Amino acid sequence: MIYLIDHEDSFTYNLAHLLDDIEPTFVSNYYEINKEKLEKSSTIVLSPGPGEPKNYPQTTKIYKQYKAKKKILGICLGFQQIVFSEGAKIVQQKNILHGYQSLIKIVNNKSIFKKNSEFLGGRYHSLKMAEPFLSKSMSITMRCKKTNVAMAVEDDINKVYGFQFHPDSFLTPNGKYLIKKVISR
Amino acid sequence: MLNNNEYLNRLYQSDKPLIIYKNDKGFDVYTDFSKKFLINKKNIKNFLNSQTKKKQSNSKNLNCYIGFFGYKLLCENIGIKLPKQKTNNFYTGLFYQPLTKISIRKKISIQSIKPNFRNIKINKKNYELLDKKFNLNLTLQQYSKLFKNFSKNIKQGKTYQIKIAQNYSKKGTINAIDLFWKLMRMNESPESFLIRDKNFNIISCSPETLILKKNNLIKTKPIAGTLRKTKNTNQKKALTFFRKNEKETKEHNMIVDMERNDLAKICKTGSVKIEKLKKVEEYRDLFHYVTTIKGLLKNKITNHEIISSLMPGGSVIGCPKISTIQLLNKKEKYDRNIYTGSFGIIHANGDMRFNIMIRTLLNFKNKIDLSVASGVILGSTAKKEYNENYIKAKSLLELFN
Repeated sequence: MIYLIDHEDSFTYNLAHLLDDIEPTFVSNYYEINKEKLEKSSTIVLSPGPGEPKNYPQTTKIYKQYKAKKKILGICLGFQQIVFSEGAKIVQQKNILHGYQSLIKIVNNKSIFKKNSEFLGGRYHSLKMAEPFLSKSMSITMRCKKTNVAMAVEDDINKVYGFQFHPDSFLTPNGKYLIKKVISR
Repeated sequence: MLNNNEYLNRLYQSDKPLIIYKNDKGFDVYTDFSKKFLINKKNIKNFLNSQTKKKQSNSKNLNCYIGFFGYKLLCENIGIKLPKQKTNNFYTGLFYQPLTKISIRKKISIQSIKPNFRNIKINKKNYELLDKKFNLNLTLQQYSKLFKNFSKNIKQGKTYQIKIAQNYSKKGTINAIDLFWKLMRMNESPESFLIRDKNFNIISCSPETLILKKNNLIKTKPIAGTLRKTKNTNQKKALTFFRKNEKETKEHNMIVDMERNDLAKICKTGSVKIEKLKKVEEYRDLFHYVTTIKGLLKNKITNHEIISSLMPGGSVIGCPKISTIQLLNKKEKYDRNIYTGSFGIIHANGDMRFNIMIRTLLNFKNKIDLSVASGVILGSTAKKEYNENYIKAKSLLELFN
């Protein structure tokens, strides 16, 4: 079972549909975490949402508690929550990209996806991860082709994956494929 | 005995409560209301899941409730409390069950379960407009201040897009029937309606369909993107404009993903699909950018769950819904009242149709009120959005010229 934590976003259920098509998915509001179900789940997914990681301390706690014990996937705010928990700073980016479609490139051979391939991704974020990102186990694996802003981090050993863009958006035509590959790891 | 045309004319000239509702074939007029339900946050669930299922006759067309949910009720229904705002204490929600339905197509046909329904008295009423001009509740300066504040919230990621509402008002009473048909000649929109009751009138040329539910198929048609009409614009040019315009495209994309989400919450996994992406619809003063999204409802989903997932409609608030409503509530001093609520019909078999109450005018307590909103999105300017609001209000304001 996949446990999807909803940070009260208006895109969470698009993600839930992608996930539920692969494995039964339980969605709960951030403020109403079902600890028993969370414990039973095989994968924890952190949803997009408004604000920044420090507004959601419970998610940071859950991330630290289950890292390396369960597969963890974070989308947008969820991505930022992962890197924030790993010590990265979250800062405002120059261009605010809400409803924007960018060309995204896979830049690292540590990715579970093929290096140098490119795809279109939908973006909804005003904040980004500050670089350099110093993590021993986690690598930046995708970037915006135009601006070089980090679009994904992966740690295939501990099974942690984060996407700054939205695979759940209709602006990401290959979104389902990306999610399927992560869940099947 | 009066023929159908004579009867309808007499009905218009009476003071009987009635509703006129446009559909894709013509107009339906409902009257002789047997029940009138005031809806509040306590009874909304029971009303939708139980009361609306009760049948009053064997006539399928008369087993229905028609009416509206106000904005405040819809917020409370999803657990959002509104702060104290200026209010005129209008109904939070109101639905009517009709005994008579008149269908205006090429010919007029009538269905009624009320004995002697054709017996009606004409009632001549005086109408007067007290103010000449409409008063606007926000000046450009005040609007710009809000715009700046919300732009900051967008940069901080608290909201991705937010719609500021403006209110036009003036004193007076209207002849709702005359104004409604005048409006239909000027600007017939797919979700137009009228409610005439003893103590208030609502007339609307709403273009936006929020819910179209038939059996387990549900559709929504969000609008995001407005272009003012000039001599040189046409549908094709409007499409090119929307496609090239980054602000309109981004705004539209966001609403499409948000409405996909609101449908996904109540639909079978994988069934939510975009049926028509980014089409241009033409109206009297403007062009709109519209997308149609559909899905198949999960088994056992109730009408209350559907309403709770889709209302208040996302395209008139911003995104994400909950945090954006909370930001709006802190800054909008004026109660939105019926504006951005929903008007529609619920059939006893569970089918529903609802719009979003935009381009809608309320006449209550000797006051004529109408609101419009446009989106704060980075890349736009306060002045541009302020002007866009005027274009949206124009066809209703000009009714009084």
